[in-house]
Amino acid sequence: MNDEKSEAGELGRMKLNKHWGYLFLILIIFIIPVFIKSEYYLHILILSVINIILTCSLRAIAVTGQVSIGHAGFKCIGAYTSTLIAMRLGFSPYLSMLIGGLAALMVAGIIAYPITRVRTVYFSMLTMFLGIVVTLVTSEWRSLTGGTTGIINIPSFGTTTVFGIGIDFNNKLPNLYLALILMVVVLIFLYSLDRSYIGMTLKAISQDESLAASIGINVARSKAIIFCMGCFIAGLAGGFYAHYWGILNPDSFGLFHSIYLLIYMIVGGTDRFIGAVIGAFVLTLLPEVSRVFQEYQPLVFVAVLYLVVFLLPKGMIDLPHQMRFLLRMVYQDRVKRNA
Amino acid sequence: MLETKNLTKNFKGVQAVNHLNLIVNSGEIVGLIGPNGAGKTTVFNLITGYLRPTEGKVILNGKDITGQKPHVIAMKGIIRTFQLDRIFHNFNVIQNIEIASYLYAGIGLCEAIWNTSGYRNKYHETSQSAEKILKFVGLEDKRDEMARHLSHGHQKLLGIAIALAAKPKVLLLDEPLGGMNSSEVEKTLGIIGEIRKQGTAILLVEHNMQAVMKICDRIVVLNFGMEIARGLPEEIQKNQEVIQAYLGTKRLLPSIT
Repeated sequence: MNDEKSEAGELGRMKLNKHWGYLFLILIIFIIPVFIKSEYYLHILILSVINIILTCSLRAIAVTGQVSIGHAGFKCIGAYTSTLIAMRLGFSPYLSMLIGGLAALMVAGIIAYPITRVRTVYFSMLTMFLGIVVTLVTSEWRSLTGGTTGIINIPSFGTTTVFGIGIDFNNKLPNLYLALILMVVVLIFLYSLDRSYIGMTLKAISQDESLAASIGINVARSKAIIFCMGCFIAGLAGGFYAHYWGILNPDSFGLFHSIYLLIYMIVGGTDRFIGAVIGAFVLTLLPEVSRVFQEYQPLVFVAVLYLVVFLLPKGMIDLPHQMRFLLRMVYQDRVKRNA
Repeated sequence: MLETKNLTKNFKGVQAVNHLNLIVNSGEIVGLIGPNGAGKTTVFNLITGYLRPTEGKVILNGKDITGQKPHVIAMKGIIRTFQLDRIFHNFNVIQNIEIASYLYAGIGLCEAIWNTSGYRNKYHETSQSAEKILKFVGLEDKRDEMARHLSHGHQKLLGIAIALAAKPKVLLLDEPLGGMNSSEVEKTLGIIGEIRKQGTAILLVEHNMQAVMKICDRIVVLNFGMEIARGLPEEIQKNQEVIQAYLGTKRLLPSIT
């Protein structure tokens, strides 16, 4: 093992050291929920974890320069497919969640061919209308989806026994852990993708498509594949959401949800992978923290948006850097005054 | 090695390229010159698949590759550079070169994601070959700089480096010397000469006549998409039709004076 490590060179060693750091981080994330007793906060945390998964999958697509404004549509497809399969066919929620993801993947695959051949605003426009069409279909196809009244009594993940401990998924805490497991798997996958040379080719495509093609990158296929992957993950998250919350309503997958996901991504910062995670987490918690302001909640949200856009144009991930810059300025100013 | 047969492109009635026959052999530099708008860049686009020819064929090593997708043609070994500074602006210099190297290292998707030892070995090899190319074009002191912060001449060199990393059998250079000062031109010509020595076929579009005459083995002259002359550099310099295409006809001159 040691010999192999030194052969692989700098990269291998760096990765191995870093792995322990990540493992430690994951451990902390898994321990924290134990100390949270409030059902309400657990619920908020579950929602933020779902948002993190969605935002990261949105970012994976956005890395190629395609900004999707219909991502909630794929969450919707995943949620409804998973629900209907679990309720009508009696599948296990775990399996139906996966099928929900696959359904989103299939829809994405069908439209990927035309949709990834258009660029920038046109791509955003097409995905936006796709999202709208999905919510329209779910609210109008009453016999299947229950229309705008939605579906209730969706089966939860039930009860299981792991290592002799009974787990009841009708409580919040087990659901949070399940969401966290899903999140960790998805994030490790997306992060590895981002760090590998494949992530680099995707970034290359966003910078210059014809140059990318000139050195042999299959631009259309790469864009289509990452789009399908992102939509699969969104479908998976949708399936989880349905079985966790137990109620489905087309309104919760509307255009606004897609736009919020976009805002999470941008406010967090698009330059680095962690930006989407931080953006989704902070901005999901923010309305709840600012609950004391009650009816002024949207104002607080807007204020934070403005602050970030003007003070941290590179997103929240730029905060430490900007702080250092600010501190240095203040410090130098003081030195000058003393001199 | 690379051959075009009756290559023709019409843009809504305008003949951009008209029945062009070209042959570029390995280890040879063929110059493609002509006044602005003569259709030189269109020829590049036709050969590399960015445009589909109206008529005619592009043949690489005896195989017809007409009308294939740009990335397929690139994988077969025909690599082009662009007239403007087309580089990956948000990557640093070494990343620009590495990205092309990776594609030819044969790395699988799962391998890359799970970071297997095989992947790490290949990664090591590709980054070494990228360093070699970096040294070859003489940008090693700019290694970690952002590509968008490079000077114009260095961006041009980086463009060539990216193309080299894609392991070209045939290299199409679109105005590699454009906007360079004389010392940079000398340096770039040296690099192009070295590439030729490695057995790469080079098709060169360039407006710097001195450089073209110096480095090219053969020259083809285009005007309004038509080939008006071909031959050795010395022959082209004396060719009456070429002089007319560049300077205008003699008939006009007396009326001015």
